[in-house]
Amino acid sequence: MKKERKYDDMTSAAGIKLKPFYTQTDIPQKHRNFVDSAPGQAPYHRGSHETGYRTKPWRIFQLSGYGKPEDENERIKFLLKNGETGFIMEHDRNTADHCYNVDHPEVLARREDVGLTGAVMQSVRDTAICLDGLPIGTSFGHAGGAVVQHAPFALAAYWTVANRLGYDLRKIAGTGQSDFNLTYLGCITKQQIPTKAGLRLNADIIEFCGKEMPRWVPVSIAGYNGADSGLTPDQELGSLFANAVEYLDEIKKRNSIPLELAAKGCGGVSFRASIRIFEEAAKMRAARLMWGELLSKRYDITEPKIANLRIHCVTAGSKMTYQQPLNNIVRGTLMALSAVLGGVQSLGVSGYDEALSIPSEHAHQMSVRIQQILQEETQLTAVTDPLGGSFYVETLTAELVEKSWEFYEEIQEQGGYLACLDSGWLHTKAAENQHREFMALEQGDQKLVGVTSAMEDISPFEVEGFMGTDDAFDVALNRLNTVKKERHESSATRCLKELEKVCLSENVNIMPAMMDAVAAEVTLGEIGDVFREAFGDWDVPIQL
Amino acid sequence: MFLEKLLAIGMFPYNSEASNTMEQKRILMAKTGLDGHWRGPTIVARALRDAGYEVIMIGMATGEEILRACVDEDVDLVGLNIGGHINVALRAIEAIKKERQSVPIFAGGTITPASARELNALGVEVYPPGSSLTDIVEAADRLTQRKQA
Repeated sequence: MKKERKYDDMTSAAGIKLKPFYTQTDIPQKHRNFVDSAPGQAPYHRGSHETGYRTKPWRIFQLSGYGKPEDENERIKFLLKNGETGFIMEHDRNTADHCYNVDHPEVLARREDVGLTGAVMQSVRDTAICLDGLPIGTSFGHAGGAVVQHAPFALAAYWTVANRLGYDLRKIAGTGQSDFNLTYLGCITKQQIPTKAGLRLNADIIEFCGKEMPRWVPVSIAGYNGADSGLTPDQELGSLFANAVEYLDEIKKRNSIPLELAAKGCGGVSFRASIRIFEEAAKMRAARLMWGELLSKRYDITEPKIANLRIHCVTAGSKMTYQQPLNNIVRGTLMALSAVLGGVQSLGVSGYDEALSIPSEHAHQMSVRIQQILQEETQLTAVTDPLGGSFYVETLTAELVEKSWEFYEEIQEQGGYLACLDSGWLHTKAAENQHREFMALEQGDQKLVGVTSAMEDISPFEVEGFMGTDDAFDVALNRLNTVKKERHESSATRCLKELEKVCLSENVNIMPAMMDAVAAEVTLGEIGDVFREAFGDWDVPIQL
Repeated sequence: MFLEKLLAIGMFPYNSEASNTMEQKRILMAKTGLDGHWRGPTIVARALRDAGYEVIMIGMATGEEILRACVDEDVDLVGLNIGGHINVALRAIEAIKKERQSVPIFAGGTITPASARELNALGVEVYPPGSSLTDIVEAADRLTQRKQA
């Protein structure tokens, strides 16, 4: 049964009722005082700095990688040659997310899947192959380690290789993500350390970077992973800041580094840029305003360089369709536009073949080209915060801020962000929204071009999907056996024992022991075994 | 809850009133890969449950585990969520065809057109991203030959 869409019944994804037009009086009184502020100044919603993209274009930053480390290296070089301005190392999810080596029974049973979602990197030797010739010193590098339990290994391996190549760790810039939304909400793995242990690892990384690596973004909270799992824009914002205070409170409790350093470290976040352009742009503006407010109110931090949030965005993978995939080039462009209008610092555009596979070379190139067209041809970069002062966008920004703080408070009432993951409360919220989204499509309330409407397609261009290489498993198994045979066994054993001891102690930072273990060529699966032994498994609160 | 509201106003195509009068069939759902994209399988599982099916979710499972659950749970249909390579699915399909020939199988996920054709040739229906939930429930009805109780 199809329903006629009523002209006066339109709400945003966050459930904000939209008026047909806006005037000045719609802007809430409190926010009206902010409208005339300059970018780079409190309350920050207007952008990171006055000259914006004129002096610092956003970073073109694409998820990339598959197969053997050398396949990934080649793809990253391809992207850099095509104009990417940072690089991301994806690790094979079968092994990395679980901290399994390829000879683990769960992986052996799926050997053909190995390498399909990132390169297999089980030891520092693999990471060295992947990083060969990459611009570690001049570019912003993403070491991988998106899943919490994998991050310490991925980071330690990257840093060890960088160090061996002669780079000063105090000078290199990059991130590793280590995201709770991905790990415990969006992409739940077969085995994962509990959230409490995850918090400890992330705080260790923040602390370590605070002391040793001032230019590194130690963890990057990814609203994206909440949003693409079903959280609405206000929930994406509210949960992201609820997550951030878990980290900052922990660091404050430890009192081992200045809280400002931790706040700066946590202030590099990522969001999903979805298709409702003005709401998404307003979301980025709201995020900056909220971060400034949070740091000032809760931690008394007001220094603009810290209180001004830095945002990476990825366009919504789930909005990309399997049907008529070339339409996704348009969707990618529009979603990228929403991010740019929102003033983000870094952007990845999902491939037009996203619903079929990981990106082919051509899809990857298109994602870069979309961004280059936006940067070079449209003059979008000329004026900072072009939506500033719009009655509509300012109102939407203010309403999003209010709704997001409400969701943040709801999370606190549930015992905080970690408690909401452990209880499944956040999962239920996400699932309800996801169901609502699907029902809207099913009922015809929301159209999806090429899928629920306009289904005819005369394109002669067949998108087949990209299946990577077929030797990733065999090569990884060989290399695993080789590294175990060739490494200095007693050092490896000693380092692994030390790591175990540190994991079991509660107040020693894990990263120095992890760096030693990685340098001694201890492998990913061995580290995973230590974690599982020391921390146990997370009790997944929902049925999968 | 939104679903209950939909049911109350009778908008839902497979509402529980209808499903109460249907015989109860059992569907096993499994994810063949180790990468945790759950959006598709959880939404499909919910649609099938709402349509009156008993859905047994076993999460990430190997070909062998899928066969074992299929036998132990005595299901009427198997749903496989596949992300990328179809080899684990092929092992499950082969094993089920051998041990439980009468149990039909359907699949969803990020499956390339070429792999979908391969699965189709084995008699496995494929529902890629963008498939309608109504179509998926109808397929389950057809494959399990579900009738009015």
